[in-house]
Amino acid sequence: MTWRRWAIPVSGVPLLALLAYGLTQDARTIPSPLPGKAAPDFALVTLSGDSVRLRDLAGQVVLVNFWASWCLACRGEHHVLLDAARRYRDQGLRIVGVVYDDSRENASQWMAERGGDWPNGLDLGSHTAIQYGLFGVPETFFVGRDGRIAYKQIGPLDSAVVDRWVPRLLAATPGASNLPTVGESPGYVRTSPDFPTATGTVRRP
Amino acid sequence: MRSRWHRRLVAAALLSLPLASAPAAPRTSPPPAPAQTDSSGAARDSLLDREMRDVAASLRCPVCQNLSILDSPSQLARDMKRVVRDRLAAGQTPDEVRRYFVSRYGEWVLLKPRAAGVSLSVWLLPLVALAGGIAVVWSAVRRWVRQGAAGARGLESGAPGALALDTESLRARRGALRASLKELETEFAAGRLAPADLAALRQRDEAELAGVTEALKRLPKAELEGAGAPQRPVLSRQPGPARHVPPALAWGAGVGAFALVVALSLKGAIVARAPGGTITGVQAGAAAEAAVEESGPLDSLRVTQLEARVRRDSSDQAALIELGHLYLTQRRLKEASQVTARAILLAPDAEGTAEAFAHMGMILWSAGETQAALKSLDKALFLHPDYPEALLYKGIILFAGVHDMRAAEEPLQRYLDVAPPDANTARVRTMLEAARSQAP
Repeated sequence: MTWRRWAIPVSGVPLLALLAYGLTQDARTIPSPLPGKAAPDFALVTLSGDSVRLRDLAGQVVLVNFWASWCLACRGEHHVLLDAARRYRDQGLRIVGVVYDDSRENASQWMAERGGDWPNGLDLGSHTAIQYGLFGVPETFFVGRDGRIAYKQIGPLDSAVVDRWVPRLLAATPGASNLPTVGESPGYVRTSPDFPTATGTVRRP
Repeated sequence: MRSRWHRRLVAAALLSLPLASAPAAPRTSPPPAPAQTDSSGAARDSLLDREMRDVAASLRCPVCQNLSILDSPSQLARDMKRVVRDRLAAGQTPDEVRRYFVSRYGEWVLLKPRAAGVSLSVWLLPLVALAGGIAVVWSAVRRWVRQGAAGARGLESGAPGALALDTESLRARRGALRASLKELETEFAAGRLAPADLAALRQRDEAELAGVTEALKRLPKAELEGAGAPQRPVLSRQPGPARHVPPALAWGAGVGAFALVVALSLKGAIVARAPGGTITGVQAGAAAEAAVEESGPLDSLRVTQLEARVRRDSSDQAALIELGHLYLTQRRLKEASQVTARAILLAPDAEGTAEAFAHMGMILWSAGETQAALKSLDKALFLHPDYPEALLYKGIILFAGVHDMRAAEEPLQRYLDVAPPDANTARVRTMLEAARSQAP
């Protein structure tokens, strides 16, 4: 009989503990599996008609910035990117824009109005966005010299975030860690061969 | 008796608990609208299509609220569906495709959490609660049955005091019977009672006294020692030295721990306002979020209705304006600015468009475009000088965004003058006072 008097209150304690734990968590943050992993490679046609490949920038610190001309928050962060380019370019920082869900005309006009001479690749079909687990724009990935994503910024960048990560990543030498470099990484994901069209491919029985 | 009912209620509540807390059964997705499927029409693709739909129905759309990518009409969901299809066509199994998306978006992307790790608790807890509920009901039923049997035994024994089952009333009855017997003697001595009556009455009382004494002897010793203890049903109490403290202690500890964590997690959120500081938060963004009320589940329904109205008639300005505002409350800034801009273009200089300009101001401010926001609000006030929403937004932006206290005073004061008192009134008044105290 005694155990029953215990059972109800005692079974309530773990439930309350679970609730209490839940209260300490921010429901709006979704943990990303990407930081620490190799940055997915991409090869995109830029707004000016050239091509940009992340792999060509191996060994450098790269900000991969996803944006769109319809994205109002992207306007707010643009001066942060301009500022980062101005301050860190000489030390080896590279910026690559990825234009998400947008047209070439609108994006070109946007860049012409606001400045910035880094390459911006058009992500037609959102393949690169999906490779990077994009939730929306703007999002910025800080890629280190080892080709790994060091940090993912969801929402607009600010100078404090840039100053926290970029000098640290610039200071790291590529050979310092035993992590594979961009070109060698066995887990490295390439965009183009992963998306064959439905026609002309082998179908499973 | 009350306590028994109380227990019944607790048991009933616990029984209903597992039903209420069981996770919603995996949602079967409605058949997709024809426009949303990649229907090739060819029979050879039917297996691929079916697999694509299965996988797409199990993946969460990253830019929606609890929609699968199969159900979502958003561009990203459409692109994700194509990726699903391409990967299946390339020979990957549905599980491999899901693993690919998990590697990009994390477990979050799975609408049905995996039955492993922490997520396992989501599957197990309802079963545990169900088992607990069954155990409580089973034990309660057994107790009721035992109590019923004990009551029946008491009746069968024929002892007059058997129905009064607790110590206190038995004792009281014993005292009353003893007093009654004494009184019979006194009455007889006083000559007010015949010897035959005395014998009959004495016999009656002595028989009952014997029954009561016997019943008191049968009760556990601990009960008799606890003189003056509160009345409780005797048969439902069991001896045991630990029973007085633990339930209260356990509940107390649990609730205390809960309260502690609530207090700790609130500690960071509740900050004393600095004199003249913003009412709605330190950051402009937070103020914007506070000014634009949160959207509720009903809003999603309204959004769907309005979207249909706009599809039918793209020049339905009222629908466009309301839709823009709802998008804003749902933080869908892109859609909000699109539909609001369309509403403005329909009649850029009409008085009724003031509302659209006011919303546009809030959208622009949410996007960090303070100056453009103020321009839009000024346009709204040009079209409709006393439009309360525009006055309120302008005041908030000048106060919390630009920190121009002097400029903020005028729209805030005019808002108080023209707007009917509502939930915002008190907040605006505080803001206005702070603006006045801070203005140079």
